[in-house]
Amino acid sequence: MTIIGDLLGNSPIGQLVDHARKVHECVELIKPMIEALIAEDWEWLNELHDRVAKTEYEADKLKHDIRDNLPRRYFLPVNREELDGFLQCQEKMADYAEDFSVIATIRKTKLHEDLHEKFMAFVTQVFQVSGTLLTAAVEFKNLAEVSFSGAEARMVLGLINNLGVEEWQADKLGRQLSIAIYELENKVSTIDIIFYEKMLLKLSAIANEAENAGDFLRAMLRK
Amino acid sequence: MDITVFIIGVTALIGLYMAWNIGANDVANSMADAVGSKALSIKQAVILAGICEFAGAVLVGSHVTDTVRKGIVDPSIIVNLPGLREGEAAAIIVIGMAAALLCAAIWLNIATLIGMPVSTTHSIVGAVAGFGIVAAGVEAVNWTKMSQIVASWFISPLVGGVCAFILFKFISAKILGRTRPARAAIIYTPAIVFLLIFVVCLATIYKGLKHVIGNIPWLTDDVSLVIAVGLALFSALVSRFYVKAKLQNKRDLPISQQLEAVESVFVPLVIISSCSVAFAHGANDVANAVGPFAAIVNILQTGDVAMKVGVPTWVLCLGGGGIVLGLASYGHKVMTTVGTKITEITPSRGVAADIAATATVLICTRMALPVSTTHTLVGAIMGIGLARGFGGIDRDVTRNIFGSWFITVPIAALLSIILFVIGRALFLDVLIGVLAP
Repeated sequence: MTIIGDLLGNSPIGQLVDHARKVHECVELIKPMIEALIAEDWEWLNELHDRVAKTEYEADKLKHDIRDNLPRRYFLPVNREELDGFLQCQEKMADYAEDFSVIATIRKTKLHEDLHEKFMAFVTQVFQVSGTLLTAAVEFKNLAEVSFSGAEARMVLGLINNLGVEEWQADKLGRQLSIAIYELENKVSTIDIIFYEKMLLKLSAIANEAENAGDFLRAMLRK
Repeated sequence: MDITVFIIGVTALIGLYMAWNIGANDVANSMADAVGSKALSIKQAVILAGICEFAGAVLVGSHVTDTVRKGIVDPSIIVNLPGLREGEAAAIIVIGMAAALLCAAIWLNIATLIGMPVSTTHSIVGAVAGFGIVAAGVEAVNWTKMSQIVASWFISPLVGGVCAFILFKFISAKILGRTRPARAAIIYTPAIVFLLIFVVCLATIYKGLKHVIGNIPWLTDDVSLVIAVGLALFSALVSRFYVKAKLQNKRDLPISQQLEAVESVFVPLVIISSCSVAFAHGANDVANAVGPFAAIVNILQTGDVAMKVGVPTWVLCLGGGGIVLGLASYGHKVMTTVGTKITEITPSRGVAADIAATATVLICTRMALPVSTTHTLVGAIMGIGLARGFGGIDRDVTRNIFGSWFITVPIAALLSIILFVIGRALFLDVLIGVLAP
């Protein structure tokens, strides 16, 4: 019997990073989906949707593991509520990515060519935000090794500040895209516009949740 | 005479079984920090643990033996019981000690099967108390001593935890959390080396050497202290050069690489400190297996109940051998589990936990309080957890450990009472025949 092995058990910090990776994988799949929309390759789009759904499901499973594990632990190095908050934000990011894939596959929505560039720019920026969050989460795990102090901590705080700036830029791109969408008022069908708007909202929400997750990360560091 | 040899043989087997149990289940934990931090491979750890446990058992082993046997139940009370036949008191103690030993071994086995982290020390203390109650009444048990011992089970993990907390906070604030960890390590590592060597020296010289070489007149407590301080200072000095040579050209690397280099400096330290835990463990726990056995041998050989029994070296070797046997036959599996399961312990964390545990066990042993080495180490690990050193610790395991503190003594006592009553009914007359001149 290994008392000490059992005592330390499964660290939620490592699990958290695994979960963050899965979430980012979901977000990562949005870009090819836009590409598929532009190329009007519906088969590929459906395939991508299946992959997002599957990845989201895997992320969910990891999340359940963490949720089962968390209440069973004493002396967490970080605040329990903040850890939970971080997890929830991450979960929403994956959910929104899946929502996006659903919206993109409900009907054969054709992306008007005026929007191609702006959609790509926006998605790239959202992807960037999610990527920065993942980097911060991975660094957070390294930070656990030095028990959250000193020079490493300052570096992660810097990353989280970047996250704010990147999210703000994503918002700007989102607004430009929004304007571009409504400029198409009489050129495409109303249903198309509704679907563009739906996609846009989900993408903005992902960037937003990433920023919120970053805030929780910051709060955990500052404990 | 044949029956005497038979009894000695049977109790030796029970003692050996107990020692096997300790080696199989407990030893891996004492090396957990070195194996978990990958400072040692599984094989190296098993070999080193075997050597240290055996050395600890044989060199330092006898001190606690008396407490378990005599501190809880004073044999003179049994001897002076009214209305005893000649040789009956000795026979009662022989049966009682055998029952206590068997009971502790059985309870340990059951606990291991159901996955409860029970301490061998706790089991044997409970068992001896149970025997005392039945053999000579509730008053025969020295409840003051008993409560001191039980209190020490709560205090030792607490003290170990507090020490480890402070030590790890120091390490993380002064070295790991610095902007330039490599530079900080050159300055502060010698202080940790000093502490480590000081504790290890005291643990060995103080009692170990005295026990082996005999009473050296000039080796008083004060002189030992001076020697320990001297050796510790010397090692700290040597370590300063070693650390400097190792980290000097790492000072301008990125932080993560500096941290890696700093942890590598702690590798030899965690090996030394884990060995010292294994040493202390052997010293402490061998008494659980051979203490009652030594008492039985002594009574059978002299036919008399002595107030104080010296434990012969061959008995300690038997205990130490049993522990090594357990380690070699089964303990290595547990060691593998420890090595693969514990990924969070870094050398610096391991050193902090080990120093804290060794120091605490050393103090408790000096005060003749039989504490559990493993549980003290568990306390130290918790202390580091509290210092944000780990991703938390498992709630259920913690509860199990606390729970085991409460139920082990009553259960071991009850089991021991049952075994004693059976043993008395079956063997009392035979033994009186042997012991009465």
